[in-house]
Amino acid sequence: MTKQHYVTIKGTKDGLVLRLDDKCAYSDMIAELRNKVSENSLDGLAEVKVHTGNRFCNEEELKEIMNVVHESPHLRVSKIQSEVITIEECNRKVLEKQSETYIGIVRSGQVVKADGDLVVVGDVNPNGRVVAAGSIYILGRLKGIAHAGATGNEEAVIAASWLEATHLMIADKLETMTDELTILSEQPEMECAYIHPNGFIAIDRLQELRILRPNLSTFKGGS
Amino acid sequence: MGEAIVITSGKGGVGKTTTSANLGTALALQGKKVCLVDTDIGLRNLDVILGLENRIIYDLVDVIAGRCKIHQALVKDKRFEDGLFLLPAAQTTDKNAVEPEQMKELITELKREYDYILIDCPAGIEQGYKNAVAGADRAIVVTTPEISAVRDADRIIGLLEQEDIEPPKLIINRIKSRLVNSGDALDVNEITTHLSIDLLGIVLDDEKVISSSNKGEPVVMDPSNPAAIGYRNIARRILGESVPLMSLDEGKPGFFGKLKTLFAK
Repeated sequence: MTKQHYVTIKGTKDGLVLRLDDKCAYSDMIAELRNKVSENSLDGLAEVKVHTGNRFCNEEELKEIMNVVHESPHLRVSKIQSEVITIEECNRKVLEKQSETYIGIVRSGQVVKADGDLVVVGDVNPNGRVVAAGSIYILGRLKGIAHAGATGNEEAVIAASWLEATHLMIADKLETMTDELTILSEQPEMECAYIHPNGFIAIDRLQELRILRPNLSTFKGGS
Repeated sequence: MGEAIVITSGKGGVGKTTTSANLGTALALQGKKVCLVDTDIGLRNLDVILGLENRIIYDLVDVIAGRCKIHQALVKDKRFEDGLFLLPAAQTTDKNAVEPEQMKELITELKREYDYILIDCPAGIEQGYKNAVAGADRAIVVTTPEISAVRDADRIIGLLEQEDIEPPKLIINRIKSRLVNSGDALDVNEITTHLSIDLLGIVLDDEKVISSSNKGEPVVMDPSNPAAIGYRNIARRILGESVPLMSLDEGKPGFFGKLKTLFAK
């Protein structure tokens, strides 16, 4: 009887790769993984990448796989890779990537929220609030409150034709735009706010954005 | 079928009631049949400004509760031959005595008989505001050249934009031309760009507004008064005429006046 291998170990130049079969029963795969790991006669400590292929593993299963691999004193999981994600996660990722557009004035007391980037065509008046998980771009005067990277993205920026906000927030950083602030300019035209490497919110000319955050530009090609 | 216009501001004390009384009177002077509805239940004022206080028998809450017919509660202003009526607010009950649905019904019934129904809204954005807006087709937002009044106007415009009515129009009340010309007060342009809604008109600050209100006679009856001209122009714009905006320079000293002040130094 030829026993099928559910778990294969391969050596690559970046370390070991554990490939787990995605067609067999989960319990069979775990049992064989446990055997493979214990019989392995390795010296020292090797980093392994785990590939789960087209099998979807939930949090608990991933944890179990990690624990089984770590039963061997010589192996350490560096990364778990999978070809599949849930529809829920996929939708969330799509939402985070996309940009939503609001046309109109965000008036006092109003809140406009977006799961990804937010483009506002119009002013944000004092006491109006715009919140986005991504970056915020305002074609108009920002005179209220803006919170970019609301779910923790520190790379997010706030850009406006006229940046005269009362409060700027990026990820968990907050800046109140009081008169003592030296970064405020007389003519707050075409400016953007971002988190400076020193950890504080800084304001710069809009032209600097492509140098400060080159990854924000999704435009490829062109001449 | 008439038109119902709500007059609101968010902030108190900017002149909603004065504006309602004067616009109602001005429209009546133009020969329209006007009904003013005071929805500031518990703090009614409109009847006092119109000088109709001692003629009130029933009020808005009586009508809604079915204790009387609408026409029994309407107070007629005798200065206008069947042109101006007031539905006064109740003074004793609170704002929660009326529901928006009931207001809507009431206003629809009034619209059958009158050309214009002006609804005087209470300050704030709670129940009273919701009642006042419920039956309206159009809205007028009153503000003054003060930052706090403009901020509240912005809030109220945001709320009005969510209602099923035409985009609101703006009246800037109590403009002190001296302060605006010296740059110490917000000017008309600044306010309209900030709020970005259409300007319906401006009303200059004038002492006579207060003195005539105290006499129970809206200032708009005096055709030479600068505030009255402002209200009359607004009324004409409501009727669809295009009237140019009045300049703020009125009341400023002329050439000889300037010479005089020069020599006085």
